[in-house]
Amino acid sequence: MNRLKRYGPVVAIGLLVLATAFPFYWAIVSSFTPEARLFEAPSLWPGTPVLDHYRALFTERDFWVPIRNSLVVAGTTTLFCVSLGALCAYALARLEFRFKHVILGLILAVTMFPQISIVSPLYLLLRELGLINTYPGLILPYMTFAMPLTVWLLVGFFRQLPRELEEAAMVDGASRLQAFREIILPLALPGLATTAILTFVYSWNEFLFALSFTLGPERHTVPVAIALFRGQYQVPWGEILAAAVVATLPVAVLVLLFQRRIVQGLTAGAVKG
Amino acid sequence: MVTDDRRNRGGIAARDARLAWWFVLPALGTILLVALFPLGWTLWESLHVHDLRMPWRGQPFVGLGNYAEVLADDRFWSALGHTLAFTAASVGLELGLGLILALALNRAYRGRGLVRAAVLIPWAIPTVVAALLWRFMFDSQAGIANAVAMKLGIMDEPLVWFISATAAWVPVILADVWKMTPFVTLLLLAGLQNIDASLYEAARIDGASAWQQFRHVTLPLLKPAILVALIFRTLDAFRVFDLIYVLTGGGPGTSTEPIALYTFNSLLQNLRFGYGSALSVVVFLVTFGLALVYIRWLGADLTGEGV
Amino acid sequence: MRSYGPRLPRRTGGALLLVMFLLAGCSEPTSGGRTEVVFPGSAVGSEAEVLQSQLARFMEAHPDIHVVQRRTPDAADQRHQLYVQWLNAGASQPDILQLDVIWTPEFAAAGWILPLEQFNADVGAFLPASVAADRWDGQLFAIPWFIDVGMLYWRRDLMDAPPRTLDELRRVAERSQKAGDVDYGFVWQGARYEGLVTVFLEHVGAFGGRLMGPDGSIEVDKEPAVRALTWMRDAVWNQGTVPRAALTWHEEETRFAFQNGQAAFMRNWPYAWSLLENDADSRVAGRVGIAPMPGMPGGTPTAALGGGQLAINANSDHPKAAWAVIEFLTRPEQMLERAGGVGQYPARAALYDDPRLADALGQDIEPLKAIVERARPRPVTPVYTQLSEILQIQLHRALTRQAEPREALERAARQMRELLRTVGLVEATADGD
Repeated sequence: MNRLKRYGPVVAIGLLVLATAFPFYWAIVSSFTPEARLFEAPSLWPGTPVLDHYRALFTERDFWVPIRNSLVVAGTTTLFCVSLGALCAYALARLEFRFKHVILGLILAVTMFPQISIVSPLYLLLRELGLINTYPGLILPYMTFAMPLTVWLLVGFFRQLPRELEEAAMVDGASRLQAFREIILPLALPGLATTAILTFVYSWNEFLFALSFTLGPERHTVPVAIALFRGQYQVPWGEILAAAVVATLPVAVLVLLFQRRIVQGLTAGAVKG
Repeated sequence: MVTDDRRNRGGIAARDARLAWWFVLPALGTILLVALFPLGWTLWESLHVHDLRMPWRGQPFVGLGNYAEVLADDRFWSALGHTLAFTAASVGLELGLGLILALALNRAYRGRGLVRAAVLIPWAIPTVVAALLWRFMFDSQAGIANAVAMKLGIMDEPLVWFISATAAWVPVILADVWKMTPFVTLLLLAGLQNIDASLYEAARIDGASAWQQFRHVTLPLLKPAILVALIFRTLDAFRVFDLIYVLTGGGPGTSTEPIALYTFNSLLQNLRFGYGSALSVVVFLVTFGLALVYIRWLGADLTGEGV
Repeated sequence: MRSYGPRLPRRTGGALLLVMFLLAGCSEPTSGGRTEVVFPGSAVGSEAEVLQSQLARFMEAHPDIHVVQRRTPDAADQRHQLYVQWLNAGASQPDILQLDVIWTPEFAAAGWILPLEQFNADVGAFLPASVAADRWDGQLFAIPWFIDVGMLYWRRDLMDAPPRTLDELRRVAERSQKAGDVDYGFVWQGARYEGLVTVFLEHVGAFGGRLMGPDGSIEVDKEPAVRALTWMRDAVWNQGTVPRAALTWHEEETRFAFQNGQAAFMRNWPYAWSLLENDADSRVAGRVGIAPMPGMPGGTPTAALGGGQLAINANSDHPKAAWAVIEFLTRPEQMLERAGGVGQYPARAALYDDPRLADALGQDIEPLKAIVERARPRPVTPVYTQLSEILQIQLHRALTRQAEPREALERAARQMRELLRTVGLVEATADGD
């Protein structure tokens, strides 16, 4: 029984990591496999690894450009979403005012329409505003549809922080705003980090809006660029998988950097006092 | 003293309310600015017949005519059924697996940073690519799924997954679970981190077993996180499009067609904007209903007092 | 004949000419007083190269016109979605549109592309089947740029001559399978998408039927169609001539199967030829022949017609400049260059008697000509995508044994007739004969 307790979790984690990582490992292996071999019998190791796909990616297809675009769009969206969302969430979690539930409901309702139906009118709107094929033309729609998650998540986080924190500070003479900035925000860092990652990945992977609101390679994001690899009939699997590997790296790095923040817990005792 | 307090509290309350609106306005404003027109437009379109292929028919107002057509449409009901089944299966699996994973990752051990990062990778891959990957893996000749199943003795000959109305769901659900469990894990992990360790201490001192601790400490305090995970995963699963479009195209026949794919076909392939918009509003109503159910069940105290 | 939609084309055409005449002096201020024309095109491979060099030559000859390329997805669905979005929003760019052959009536009826009579195109020089597909309501709305035809690829090393009937094809295929020369007898695109309809169209023609009659009546539930679908289904499930996996295949999967030497016959489009012959990994190089898809007694060999058409955006600010580009790109020299560089068949009839075409394509022209002569377009109607969708679903259901062919086709026909009735288009034109 003790052995189960000791090794159980490790084995479970090991299996889960294997299950989640395997398809990605498969993608990496395939990205080093020559095109024609890809459709033959599967093997766990590329026979003779080739760099063709990666070379094509950066010399023929200029893959740096979509990566830059995605970084700008996803980064800016995340920045704005988290900051505006945090303000909004704090108000909804802590402050008393009318129509709180309505606002929460409204924010959520926005995400309930299928993206497909929003694309056409959104295109018309962005066109009127002259924002087609620009960074703001993507950031604005992304914020609109990522913000609900941000707000709902952060409402939860803020609610879990004890009220005594701000009240203590305000009794000491701080304004509500100061209390928010100096006391609450630092403590909400795990929540903010989580939200930032979620928003970033959502924006990074978004396809439909990016395809519809950009016109040329100068503003295409990574998913759109990958979609354009396809010819009328040809699907260049090797290059697509190579692109996927390359595209996943920035996100993986980001996650690695942030993951400590995510799981930084509240220091117990600082509150209960 | 008491009178002063009450007066102060009244002043503070008013100031708070004003501050609240300043805090809320940027986010709300952005959302409304960008979303109001498209949503309103969709609602408006749904009340008219608008077929782009035939502009000579004009855009007559038909009230609820499109909705009547939707409700009488067999293909709509099939798509709705597929979507509900898909949502139930994948969200259920994701929640369960996500919880297990979050609990496992919540411990302290060496290399957990890397493990966490590794676990989040599937979610970081663009959906279209992930779908292609899974399609590849379930390919009947070159795919690893058949190879493994035959090696394990489950099957004698390779199965063509995508031509069977039931088997085609397997790669679809697996792909979605693979891709989205990390999202749920992340949410629940963050929620777990927020639970005060001293509560577990107290429970242990009172003699509670691990299972009882889980049931009476963890689960209740995790409710907000579970609620958010449930709502957003359900909303996303209900609107699933890219994944199924690439994996099965809705086939064989229409056996795996979700409602978003049907809407896409109506709007952008068949150019029936009125009908497609009505479909979208119906999707909205269903997901709204589901969200209400969740909130009633789990989140009564989301903005109220309590806890 | 019922009239619909005409209020847009004729008067707009005249008004446009007038306006252009008045504005002849002032061009849109772009790049030093030149007219800018936006051309949406492929981002991929040899096609992009050939296009770029042709456009460069055009700009040398026309220094007052600057052509800007906008990269659009080649995948038909995505391109269609983008076009719909742009055109519905009234965007004036791109000025030129690259249409799949089945989109022309749809875009014409929606008023999104200009009728081309005003430019006096030499319509008779192009293949009649393509031109028929580009006409709507009596007017020409697009110029054929290149054509695609469905054809049979056969293995020269496994037989002396291509089969003359579908039954003969099956016999030869089975023989090769039994002899262990190939795993699959015959491969075609059986996934649930537009390609399946083209394969079906060829089988229906082989059995002497068609999808739609000249008066716009639906004929997919008639005997020849039912027999064709039954033949296809039996080839998969009863005889094992066609692998079951083919029911999930698009063009590339079938090409790979044939290229790896796994099949005796393949039905595919012309693009596969140069890959089969020249790809370093091709195991069948030098051993491939092409022929029309065979018929059956009482039917005719049929080739489904595909291909690209060039049309002018109805909201374009520079229709004349756009026309100049189109006219240039559809000249015989440019078409020959495309044939050589990309392997795409030209849309001009005379080129099929021109020895230069054989050189450009690196193939014998005789079998090619035979195929092109049998090209048959799909039903020419604005609601084609919806009709096709209905048909695709039922065809796939029958092929995956979720329904019997007769029942599936009857259901398809019923829904197709219902659709035509509700949109008031019962007099859509049929596939040309």
